[in-house]
Amino acid sequence: MTETETDTGIETESGTKSLTGTVGSEFAEVAVSIDTAANGPRLRLEDRRTGRVRYLDALELETLVWLPDGDLRRLLDPSAHRWHDDAGS
Amino acid sequence: MTATLPETAHEQTDKYARLIQPTRVHGSLYTDPEIFAEELEHIWYRTWVYVGHVSEVPEPGDYVRKNIGPQDVVMTRDRDGEVHLLLNRCAHRGNLVCDAPSGNSNSFRCPYHGWTYRNNGDLLGYPYNKGYGGKGKLALGLGRIPRVASHQGFVFGSFAPDGPTLAEHLGAAAGELDRLARLSPEGEVELTAGWLKHRTRANWKLLAENETDGYHPQFVHGSIFSVTGSPIGALYSDNSTAVTRDLGGGHSENDLRPEFRRFAEPMRWFGTTEDRVPDYVARMRELHGPAAEEILIEGSPHVMIFPNLFIAEIQLFVIQPLSVGECVQHSTAVQFKGAPELNRRMVSQCVGSVGPAGMLLADDTEMYERNQRGVALRDPEWVDIRRGVERERADENGFRIGTATDETGMRGFWSHYRNLMEAEK
Repeated sequence: MTETETDTGIETESGTKSLTGTVGSEFAEVAVSIDTAANGPRLRLEDRRTGRVRYLDALELETLVWLPDGDLRRLLDPSAHRWHDDAGS
Repeated sequence: MTATLPETAHEQTDKYARLIQPTRVHGSLYTDPEIFAEELEHIWYRTWVYVGHVSEVPEPGDYVRKNIGPQDVVMTRDRDGEVHLLLNRCAHRGNLVCDAPSGNSNSFRCPYHGWTYRNNGDLLGYPYNKGYGGKGKLALGLGRIPRVASHQGFVFGSFAPDGPTLAEHLGAAAGELDRLARLSPEGEVELTAGWLKHRTRANWKLLAENETDGYHPQFVHGSIFSVTGSPIGALYSDNSTAVTRDLGGGHSENDLRPEFRRFAEPMRWFGTTEDRVPDYVARMRELHGPAAEEILIEGSPHVMIFPNLFIAEIQLFVIQPLSVGECVQHSTAVQFKGAPELNRRMVSQCVGSVGPAGMLLADDTEMYERNQRGVALRDPEWVDIRRGVERERADENGFRIGTATDETGMRGFWSHYRNLMEAEK
């Protein structure tokens, strides 16, 4: 079941309170928050199944908005980056 | 060389001619597993079957689990807005790919080995691709239902790559879906009220036949009619001017409009008066002008669309056969876009009729399950469908009609069923 939970005032790892939520489906679950601990705001994404975290700044997000669907599809290939024969994971 | 049919086809034709006669059908049609297997091939995996409604996948990336008989189907909407019917089966080892009843995801990852698909069925990739000689080496994907088409947002699928179009399959029944949609101030039906599933130990055809059987309501539904003071019971009696119509193609309806026209009261079809739904009635009059009166008086259809979609005025049922003696009834309240006042009432009426403690579906289901046990008994072997055959006539459009309590719809169902079952694969 797709869920979008939105809470406010959750403590992030950098100790800053921020708007947070979880975008989840039966296939993946990612915690989303806007982190304000740096000199500028950035999106904090946490893969809830592995704990892996990535930050995306405004320019990176804008790039994603403009990313052609074909490029996104190539990234979704499981062996493109995460599960390839040379990977350690 | 011989010009005659192969022996097996002959046998098949003889078999169904023997079992399906103009005024009676054989009990084994409801109990023989071999016949059920043949129905899957000749009906469920060939003709157009109702699957879902576009309003159930309103946004790109939306998906819902649906079915065609025992087949697990995923209905999706891609980024371009196109609706797809996919088989929920990984091309690798055959695992089910989607588990949730609904969700939003533009791609699906099989939980078994991580094979990942686009929501149009294309294979996006598989983990550790060297084992397949690299990426993009496999011409595989999710199974697709070869033909998908819709009418008024009702999405149908056909496993046959060729054959009659959906418009040809629906024939006059398409007009009943139009009649339903025109009751919306925005001209659109929405199936967004959620679904109830009732597992029923009966053959699917007992349900399909019962849906436009106007002979049973006075008996089976006597209790709900008396408790609610509903005027519906009187519509199914010898004094009623309502008719049962064979719409062709196995479709049939109880056309109650003659009765509603006689009273000429807006919203009587809904068992209410217009002052109870003032906003709705006002919107309809604003939209249609004087023509609104006819729409508000005639109301919603009571139609069985072969083989699995039944619309009973305010609620909708989908019949899913699982085996010769078991099926699931999926039911929901009809909702009209732009009619929140009416929609709330339709949901509460449906709770009372088909909800877990509802009084209508439970009564019918009791009859289905008793019927399934009864038809398995050895004598008499036949189920009688002759009621009203002598007083049947053609209406102004050439369709066969009987009185409100006649078995005209059943005879139409069986005639079409026999044609399908005798057709060569």
